[in-house]
Amino acid sequence: MIAGFGIVAAHFREFAAGLANTLWLAGATLVLASVLGCILAALMLSRTRFVRTSIGLFVDAMRCVPFLLLAYLVYYGLPELGIRFDSWSSGLSALAVYHACYVAEIVRGAWSHLPREQIEAGRAYGFSGYALFRRVVLPQLFFAAAPLIGNQTVYIIKDTAFLMIITVPELTFVASSIQATYFVPFASFMFAMALYWIVTLVVEASVRRIEAAAETRRAG
Amino acid sequence: MGASLALLLKGAAVTASVSAAAIALGVPLGLALALIRWRRVPLLSQVTAAYVSLIRATPAITLALLIFFALPTFGVALDPTTAAVLTLTINTSAFNCEIWRSALIDFSRDQLDAAAAFGMRPGVAFRRIIFPQIWRTSLPALVNEMTLLVKASPALAVIGIVDLTRAASRIGAATYKPLPPFIAATVLYVALVLVLVAVQRLVEARVKRRLQAA
Amino acid sequence: MQAEDQPVVAVEARGLCKRFGKLEVLKKVTFTVPRGTTVCILGPSGSGKSTLLRCLNFLEQPDEGEVLLRGERVGVKDGALMKERELCAFRVRMAMVFQHFNLWPHLTALGNVIESPIHVLGRPRETAVEDGRELLRKVGLADKTDVYPHTLSGGQKQRVAIARALAINPEVLLFDEPTSSLDPEIVGEVLSVMKQLSSEGMTMIVVTHEMSFAHEAADAVLFMDGGRIVESSAPDEFFAKPRTERARQFLQRYVR
Repeated sequence: MIAGFGIVAAHFREFAAGLANTLWLAGATLVLASVLGCILAALMLSRTRFVRTSIGLFVDAMRCVPFLLLAYLVYYGLPELGIRFDSWSSGLSALAVYHACYVAEIVRGAWSHLPREQIEAGRAYGFSGYALFRRVVLPQLFFAAAPLIGNQTVYIIKDTAFLMIITVPELTFVASSIQATYFVPFASFMFAMALYWIVTLVVEASVRRIEAAAETRRAG
Repeated sequence: MGASLALLLKGAAVTASVSAAAIALGVPLGLALALIRWRRVPLLSQVTAAYVSLIRATPAITLALLIFFALPTFGVALDPTTAAVLTLTINTSAFNCEIWRSALIDFSRDQLDAAAAFGMRPGVAFRRIIFPQIWRTSLPALVNEMTLLVKASPALAVIGIVDLTRAASRIGAATYKPLPPFIAATVLYVALVLVLVAVQRLVEARVKRRLQAA
Repeated sequence: MQAEDQPVVAVEARGLCKRFGKLEVLKKVTFTVPRGTTVCILGPSGSGKSTLLRCLNFLEQPDEGEVLLRGERVGVKDGALMKERELCAFRVRMAMVFQHFNLWPHLTALGNVIESPIHVLGRPRETAVEDGRELLRKVGLADKTDVYPHTLSGGQKQRVAIARALAINPEVLLFDEPTSSLDPEIVGEVLSVMKQLSSEGMTMIVVTHEMSFAHEAADAVLFMDGGRIVESSAPDEFFAKPRTERARQFLQRYVR
């Protein structure tokens, strides 16, 4: 078993590459999902009933479905409609759309819980329209939503692992190949888990710092 | 088409049964872990904290692979179904631990004082005073975690379990028309989640009715 | 039936000290409570009254000193903290009534009253229920046996709490500011129950701000300030002619 870790250490560069891919996918997903999520949230608050309900249904459906199923749908199902993505693009687009729906729910929740007094105070001081949004509403929205989106990041990182099934060479895929080649399952997967753990702890620490910043702003 | 539907339903049954087993084991296990941390059992408490942190950071797929492939090297060979239930149980118990722990930490100090003042030992106080209340307040979070468990279950395909997602994928590969089975699988997953939510609402309604009877 | 030449001491505290971090809350507190008497502990906020009461049944563990219940030492055995089982055996001999009632919300009024008798004292259910109903009738809540606490007013909750305390047949009743959370109009209904218990010969230690109760029902008044018992006397003496300056200042603020 100890020898297993030796082999894993020897292949550290491959693990590092896998981790890099995981982080790249997670980061790109976070950006795309945040943007798309905000758009979806705005649509869910639309005055047009049809838009509200149809987007709402879409978001609810996405949140009921396992991520892997969506990934399969994109990778295997879309070609039936003539849209063909490679495994990377399938993976990333599935991740982005899936988590955009969770971000949309988070943003929608943060919006409905905005403290009205702050906005009224902003109005009283002469802010209006775009300026009001940018200087008063947006920071509030950010600090309310950021911790939750930070938590969502951990889910994004974990979902990237599903993509090993469609042969995206992220961390778990690498761990699996190494273990299959050298018969070192314990060392290989434990090392991958340790890496996931470290990344998650870093994300959680960052979330705590954002929450601390939010607290001081709320108190001030 | 009939054969495909049968395969899908079989996959759904596998998903439902493996999930149900993991839930049945994982909810009490999570409570046990939470109690260890809440009571600050020396050494065990810290080990539990580290274990929960690690498991919560681990993707279900990675955990499934670890359990299925690494355990045999220690002399424990599990069949896929047992490994699947074990994986999901370990996974969900870590999240349930945090849910229960949050309820225990938030539990009213006043009520605990009264329990102590009236001579209740910690075990009695837990059984008679704490648990009857925290299972109700924790129910929404526990059910939410159950839905997350169902959504993580497709990971088990990598250890040979033909769950609903894998069944849909196989049908699509065989018929060269992957969309219909995927859509059908979506509907079945939504149904599973709705069942869980419906059970939750039912339990909450019964509790509310009982408490209001005066 | 119990003609006594010497009063039996129900509760005794000797040299109790308690610190919270750097803050010394109790500084060598010593007093005795004879059986059948009502002792009121008065004093400004922060004087350590509640902490003292909670040390008596070891909800707080004193850093130094002894607590004796009928001559037996509470909480500490052979120099170490008692095991849960032994400590619990002592606690059921001293029942506590809390400022915020501390009722268990998932149990009915009767449920609250019979909980400890059945699950701690091991009494059979029928007996406990019968006794419980009788106690609730005694505190004026015969019609509220099967309701849940959240439907009750503050005064009713406190009376349920008193019934709950009586249900375990304690040797001493400890009251921790029992009326401080109640609306002024409702305070009376709880105080009258307490006065009745006092006149029936219950041993009671009451931390309170209700001067009228202390004056009318107490056999002795302990005035605390800054973690010490500053004055200890009969109520008439204390209210009419306080001996210490601190007591005088305190009474000026509270009594017109």
